[in-house]
Amino acid sequence: MLRKTKVLLSKLGLDVHNRGLITVAKELSDAGMEVIYIGNSLPKEIISTAIQEDVDVVGVSSLGGAHLTLGGELMEEAKRERLKERMGFVIGGVFPPGDAENLKQVGFDETFMPGATREEIVSKIQKIVSDKMEVDQKK
Amino acid sequence: MGNRKTTKEILEARLKRRKRNPLYHPSALKKLSLDFEQWQKDTLREEDRKNWFVTPRTVLGSDIPREMLYTPLHHPDFDYMEDLGHSGQEPFTRGIHANMYRGKEFTMRQLTGFGGPEETNERIKFMLAHGGTGVNVLFDLPTIQMYDSDDPVSRGQVGMSGVAIDSVEDMDLVFKDIPLDQVTVSLVTHYPSNTAILFPMYLAMAERRGIPWNKLRGSVQNDITLEEVVRSGPEYIPPKDCFRIQCDNIEFIRQNVPQWNFVTYNGYNLREYGTSCVTEMAVALANAIGSIQEMLRRGRDVDWVAERIAFFWSPASDFFEEVARIRAVRRLWYKIMKYRFEAKDRRSLWMRCHVQTSGVSLRREEPLNNLIRAAYEALAAVLGGVQSLHVDSYDEAYSVPTEEAALLSLRTQQIIYAETAVTDVVDPLGGSFYVEALTNEMETRILDEVDEIEKMGDYVTAIEKGWLHRKIAEYFHRERSDIERGLIKLVGYNLYPSPTALPPINVFRYPEGVEERQKQRLAKLRDQRDHEKVNNALTALEEACKKGKNIVSYTLQCAREGCSEGEIFKVFKRVFGLWKPPSLW
Repeated sequence: MLRKTKVLLSKLGLDVHNRGLITVAKELSDAGMEVIYIGNSLPKEIISTAIQEDVDVVGVSSLGGAHLTLGGELMEEAKRERLKERMGFVIGGVFPPGDAENLKQVGFDETFMPGATREEIVSKIQKIVSDKMEVDQKK
Repeated sequence: MGNRKTTKEILEARLKRRKRNPLYHPSALKKLSLDFEQWQKDTLREEDRKNWFVTPRTVLGSDIPREMLYTPLHHPDFDYMEDLGHSGQEPFTRGIHANMYRGKEFTMRQLTGFGGPEETNERIKFMLAHGGTGVNVLFDLPTIQMYDSDDPVSRGQVGMSGVAIDSVEDMDLVFKDIPLDQVTVSLVTHYPSNTAILFPMYLAMAERRGIPWNKLRGSVQNDITLEEVVRSGPEYIPPKDCFRIQCDNIEFIRQNVPQWNFVTYNGYNLREYGTSCVTEMAVALANAIGSIQEMLRRGRDVDWVAERIAFFWSPASDFFEEVARIRAVRRLWYKIMKYRFEAKDRRSLWMRCHVQTSGVSLRREEPLNNLIRAAYEALAAVLGGVQSLHVDSYDEAYSVPTEEAALLSLRTQQIIYAETAVTDVVDPLGGSFYVEALTNEMETRILDEVDEIEKMGDYVTAIEKGWLHRKIAEYFHRERSDIERGLIKLVGYNLYPSPTALPPINVFRYPEGVEERQKQRLAKLRDQRDHEKVNNALTALEEACKKGKNIVSYTLQCAREGCSEGEIFKVFKRVFGLWKPPSLW
C-alpha cells in the first residue's frame, strides 16, 4: 500500500519570514501529503528530526540571506547521514540570481523562488518522491 | 469586561450629540438625485448599469466595492468643517500641519543595514551625502531575535538582512561621525524586548559622546504585534510580559528622552505578513488604545503619553484606497484621542506616521517594473499626507538593495518632492467625491474591527487566543489563490508575462568576514569589561523583572557595563518563561 508522502518543513536558522513556508505547508497538506512543520531550526536539528520521522522530503525556507551558509551546512549533514538517496531536499526563499544553481550544486533537488505556483511546488515535490522510489526499487 | 464600553460605543455616544451643518442644500440634492437617475437611464449602457459596482482585486487591498462614478449623493450630509476642517485643524483629515510640505518636506528615511556596523555606517553616510534627511537602521536576524553573533544559533546569519549589533560598542560604530543631535534616527527595533535592549545601547553611546538625551530625536518601533504575531522565531516570551515591556519602554523613554518617539505602532509588517489594509490599521489602533489605558493605570496623564505616539503604514497597490486610508485613520485617531481619552494637547490628536512602500507587491519577474510600483505607492503616501517615507528598492525580491538601487529609491522620493509639484498644495485630493466616500468607508471599517478586538477583552487577549494569527493565515492563503487564479493581476507575472527571459540585474552580495569580526569584538569585550559590574547589572535586571519594576533603567545599566544583547535576553527568558504561539496553518 502506498503511504502518504511525508514532508518535513523548517525555517532555516533565525529567519523571521514564514509566510511563504506556511503557505506551502497548507498547500502540500491539501495535496494529500503529511506535513511536519517544525518552525525555526538549525541544520543538525532538521536532519535529526528528518531521520526520526523518516520523512520523504525535507523542505527549508530562507529569505534572510543564509541560504548558502545554512543551506550548505544542511546538505553536508544530509550527506554525512547518507540521506540524499532516500530523501528529497528542497529549498525556497529569496535568493540572488545564480544562487539557485549553487544550491543545486551543494545537493538540493529543487529550489523555489518568489512566484513559484502551488501547482509547480506540489508537482515537483511529487516527482522528487517518485524518482527516489524508482532508485530505491532498482537497488 | 462586562459593562466597559468599547471605543466605538463611546465615539457613537459622543458624536451623536454633535449638530451637523451640511454643505449641500436638501433641494439641490433632491434635484441631483433625480438627475442622476435620469442620467443612468439615458446615458449608460445596460452592462455598465449592471456592473455599476466593481471590487478591485489588488495586492493587500480591501474588498470595498467601487461605483463607476461618485457624486455628492455619496455624502449627502457632508459637513466640511466637521468632516474635514482645514489642514492643521480638527479633525485633521487634511493633514496635521496647516502648511504641510510647504513647511517641511517629508523626511526621506531610507532603511539601511547589512553586514557589520562599519559597512552600515558607510551606507548611512552615502545616503545622507545624497540628500537623505533621516537615518533608518535595520538589524540583522540574530540581533532582531536577540542572540549574540557568537551564539551557535547565529552561525551563518550574522550581518544578514540588517546590521549586527551585540553591544554598545557596535552601536557606537554604526553611528560613527554621524551628528546624533542633528539628524533624526529611526531604530527598527520591531519587538518590545529588543527595544528594551538596543535603545539603551543607543542612550549609553550618547552618554559616552557627551550628548544630552534631550537632544536626541528619532523613533523606535516597540510593538508587541511584531514580537508575538508577525514573525517566525525559536523563542517567544508570553504576550502579557511582552506588553508590559512595551509599556515600560514607553514610560521610560517618555520620561527621559523627551523628543524621542517611544513607540511606532507598526501596521506595516502585519499587513505585509498577510492582512488587509483595514486590519493593519485596526490592530495598530487597538494596541495604541491598550497602551494608553495601561499608562493611565500607571498614573500617567493622557497627554504626557499621547503626544509622542507614531504609526507606521504600508501603502500598497490600490492608489486611491491608500490615500483615503491615511486620511481616514488620521480622522479616527483624532476622534479616539479627543472623545475617548479626552486629550487636551493638540499634538496628542495627531496621527503622525512613517510609511514604507509595500515589499510584498514587488515581483521577482522583470524587477525593473518594481520601480514603477514603488513610485506610485510613494505618491499615494505623499498625497495622503505622511510625515516620513521609505521607498522599497526594485531588487528586493533578490536580496537587500545594492547601493545603486538604494539611491534610486531615494531619488524616487526626491523627484516626487522636487519635480512633480504635488507638495505645493495641501491635501490635493480632499473634496473629491470618490476619495471622501472611500475615506468614510475606510474609517467605518477600521473602527468596526477595533470594536471586534475590544469585544474579545483587549488586544493582548486577542493575541493569546490566536484571533490575529488565524486571521492572517486565512488572508494569505486566499490572496495566494487569488493571484494564482489571476484575479489579482500582476504585470509580467500573471498578465503579459515576458515570452523571453530578461537579462539578470546586479544583485547585492553580503560582505565577507563580518561574523568573524563580530565574534572577535565580542570576545574582546567579554574579556575587558568589569565582570563584577556586569554580573551585578544582570542580577539587578532579573530582580526588576520579577518585582514588576520598570525594567529599562536596568537594561540601561547593563548596556553601560557592556552586557551583550544575548545576555540580557537570557534574563527575560529566565524570568518570564517561554510562550508557544498558535500555529498558522
